[in-house]
Amino acid sequence: MKRFLLMLICMACLLTGCRGIGEKTSDPEEEKQLITVGFSQLGAESDWRKANTESMLQAFTEENGYELIMEDGQQKQVNQITAIRTFIQREVDYIVLAPVTEEGWETVLEEAKDAGIPVIIVDRQVKVKDKDLFTCWVGSDFALEGRKATEWLHAFTRAQGIDPAEINVVDIQGTLGSSAQIGRSAGILDASKKYGWKLLAQVSGEYTQARGREVMNYFLKVYDQINVVYCENDNEALGVIEAVEAAGRKVGSDIRNGEILVMSFDGVNETALQFAREDKISCIGECNPLHGPRVRKIIESLEKGETPEKYEYVDESIFSSLDQVQAVEVDGESYPVTLLK
Amino acid sequence: MNKQKKSFVSELLHNQMIIPIAAILLLVIFNLISDPSFFAIKLTHNNLGNPILSGNLISVIDFGSELAILAIGMTLVTAASGGQDISVGAGVAIAGSLIFKILRGNENTPAELHAPIILAFLAACLAGMACGAFNGVLVAIFKIQPMVATLILFTAGRSIASWINMNANIVINDQTFAIFGGFIPGIPVPTPVFIAILCIIVAFLVLKFTNLGLYTQAVGINESSSRLNGLNTTLIKWVTFVILGLCVAVVSLIKVSRTGQLNYNGIAKNIEMDAILAVALGGNALSGGKFNLGASILGAYAIQFLTTTLLKLKISSEALPAYKAVVVILLVVISAPTVREKLSRMANKMKSKKS
Amino acid sequence: MLNKIRKMTDTGLLLTITIVVFFLMYASAVIFLGSGFGKPQAFFNILNDNAALIVLSCGLTIVMIGGGIDISVGGVTALVCMCCAVYLEYHGGNVAVSILIALGIGLAYGLVQGFLVAMLDIQPFIVSLAGMFFARGMTTIVNTDPFNVTHSAFKALKETRIIIPFMGSLNRKGNYVDAYIEIGVVVALLCVLVLFCILRWTSLGRAFYAVGGNKQSALMLGINVRKVKYLSHIFCSVLAGIGGYVYFMHSGSGSPTHAEGAEMQAIAASIIGGTMLTGGVGNIIGTLFGVLSLSTIRNIVSSAGFDEAWWKNNTVAGMLCLFLVIQSIVVSRKKSAAK
Repeated sequence: MKRFLLMLICMACLLTGCRGIGEKTSDPEEEKQLITVGFSQLGAESDWRKANTESMLQAFTEENGYELIMEDGQQKQVNQITAIRTFIQREVDYIVLAPVTEEGWETVLEEAKDAGIPVIIVDRQVKVKDKDLFTCWVGSDFALEGRKATEWLHAFTRAQGIDPAEINVVDIQGTLGSSAQIGRSAGILDASKKYGWKLLAQVSGEYTQARGREVMNYFLKVYDQINVVYCENDNEALGVIEAVEAAGRKVGSDIRNGEILVMSFDGVNETALQFAREDKISCIGECNPLHGPRVRKIIESLEKGETPEKYEYVDESIFSSLDQVQAVEVDGESYPVTLLK
Repeated sequence: MNKQKKSFVSELLHNQMIIPIAAILLLVIFNLISDPSFFAIKLTHNNLGNPILSGNLISVIDFGSELAILAIGMTLVTAASGGQDISVGAGVAIAGSLIFKILRGNENTPAELHAPIILAFLAACLAGMACGAFNGVLVAIFKIQPMVATLILFTAGRSIASWINMNANIVINDQTFAIFGGFIPGIPVPTPVFIAILCIIVAFLVLKFTNLGLYTQAVGINESSSRLNGLNTTLIKWVTFVILGLCVAVVSLIKVSRTGQLNYNGIAKNIEMDAILAVALGGNALSGGKFNLGASILGAYAIQFLTTTLLKLKISSEALPAYKAVVVILLVVISAPTVREKLSRMANKMKSKKS
Repeated sequence: MLNKIRKMTDTGLLLTITIVVFFLMYASAVIFLGSGFGKPQAFFNILNDNAALIVLSCGLTIVMIGGGIDISVGGVTALVCMCCAVYLEYHGGNVAVSILIALGIGLAYGLVQGFLVAMLDIQPFIVSLAGMFFARGMTTIVNTDPFNVTHSAFKALKETRIIIPFMGSLNRKGNYVDAYIEIGVVVALLCVLVLFCILRWTSLGRAFYAVGGNKQSALMLGINVRKVKYLSHIFCSVLAGIGGYVYFMHSGSGSPTHAEGAEMQAIAASIIGGTMLTGGVGNIIGTLFGVLSLSTIRNIVSSAGFDEAWWKNNTVAGMLCLFLVIQSIVVSRKKSAAK
């Protein structure tokens, strides 16, 4: 027992000794050169997300004067909160958060505020009462994306002379509760009410190809009359196309001849873009994943002592290989369609 | 007359095969009553113009074949070590990931395969056997309970699988590659069925012409006496795990070929549960010892029948484990020695009362 | 020195190894993670994040000392979170009842699993494997999608912080920030304390060791082996219920993927803490240190540039593997000493 105690004391000494070393390695002069940024990414579930991560990694390199610490949240808020607490402990200069859900961030954001670390939210939004808890937000206007895409569908079917009552849409939603899902689902829901389309069902495909295929398989069994599939990201659309083709149906814009029109969002996945060129996917609402440079600009302006805009929307287009629709109009503003060749 | 009948009945009851057969019959009757269209089989053509059979029964023998292959290895492991390997699902993910790694070269959606399929399959076999060997070392040499030892790979396996391909999203659209999980052109029966038949034949030949079966049972029944009789018990236990690893590799080929893509966390999810269920439903003691391979294989198809029936009842695939867990518990309760003793005592009492 | 080690009991030796490992890790964490990790709050955060795991591991330690095992604890945690979340969010229930729900789920699990293991002599692994799948399946049946609880009384409970005096530190702006722990940590430490006392000073505690160590001699000592085994499973599952609620208080949400792999971490923590799979050897204090070392090494791994998610799982698995092998060696040491 004595020896055991002795060992404990030795360990304690070692620990305090190491603390000394630890403090030495974090010399202020060395740290000043590099700006440390803690980035809590929510996961790696889709190609969009991977492109988003890649863009951050490229924007914050050591050559640019940054040290980026990235933590993968694996789709769990608990993990992300833990990651932010770790960032706070490590005294990073900025925290970048891509939240998995909108709710439940108050506590940890308050901790970051107490520690005096600015927080930049990217992609999805956070719902907090006190908007000062985060410095600013960068991302896409998902509601606008949804409206642009549905306006495209409206314009396209009208050009074809298809009766709105004959349009039977299924909506394969994203992960429920994410900003993109809320904005895009609202888009199709509002538009189908407005134009008199039949919205047969809304089920989550969790932004993955596998779930997208599963859900579409189910839809094809239950609803015979589907002619439009509204997928809330590229990966789901790929799964849907597989399911449709496996069932012996065809995807394409020729609704009248029994083809199923597939709509999608993001426009990041190479296969999806290729499918869009082949008219397997008729319309893709772009969702720009390249947040890295923008976040870097914000941090640079913060370093200079400026106050950035609270909400910054990235510019986004619509991709399609069909030339019937040149531009769509939302709230009096015209958005041109980028033709894919 | 009465006596003869009784002996026939008791003989039937003592045959292991009766349990999976009864389970299948029960499910057949249930489906006949609830929805006879369950048994409809259609001959259609896929988008390549090849004839294919489709229907619930076809999907039973199709997906059941994967399970049957796993059940072969799992039965041997159970018999020799008195425990089960719960890392088979993770093993499938690792081997499958390796197959893709070799086939894809450096592209995510390769237009053509970068290596012959056989090479990828051999690598998968090596990977599967390596996983089995790792488990086997822990169990046979370090004497760790099989389920705890395999818990290590159960947790780490899928992470390793996604690490192999750096979590890339790979899609392989190759018609030759799709054959293993789909259909051979011109033959309307799913390929996995043939693969399973091949594996079963090999397994039976091995058991017939080697002492593996006998030794495995001996080790499972009484390890120390087997050792005293000159058997290398460590080696035999280890070998059963390696064989299971080989089965895992075969299943992984079917799995990845079926979808042409890889979901590291979703592939072969909960398959360990099904494989263990197959062994239990085959009437094999989960505590090791005597085994009947045929019964396990039938058990595998019975389990798949159950899965398909449940899915047909619109039970979501995430909720399936709950139902299967109940089945497992019922099975092990019925086969528990204590319960059997009590039941037979009760039966004896009833008899003595009657007489 | 060697002689001393040889003379140590298994419990003592394994406990020593654990504590040494923890201190080594914490020291290296301070080196790797820089000055931030040296602050007291860093240590409290480990407690905050792992309070639930501590409770779950305690349960597993009890069951493993009694010679059994339970891999359903992660599933039970998810089930408890989901049931409580649905109850509070969609049925407007009150917090006290939700705690009872958590305990009830745990108790029900303990009663059923304990009965199957102790009375019907079914292998505990099979029983709890089925239990794990049942719990995970049930969770998705209760509700498929993850969601946050917005119930105000619960939120107040979740956000309650216990300030630790004199342990705070200055932040970058020079403001003093208090160090704090969550309620879950208090619950967890209470569990540790109570179980430590039970194992050390009550006849029930000694009965756990006796049953796990050698059933035959336990029987000869007049211990009701079945009853003790049954109790060990009830302890474990009730603790899983408590741990589930602690997890719920920490995360404030219900999700089918909550506590995925927690069973593995809990087993690993117990084993690292010196509990033997073969039963009869183990220590609650060791388990506490097991959890702490496990989470410390995960922090190191994620901070040392291995930010990809898979590393965390692999380190846990690696640690488990390593300690299993150490145990195996300890057992053989005992055997050779007996000769």
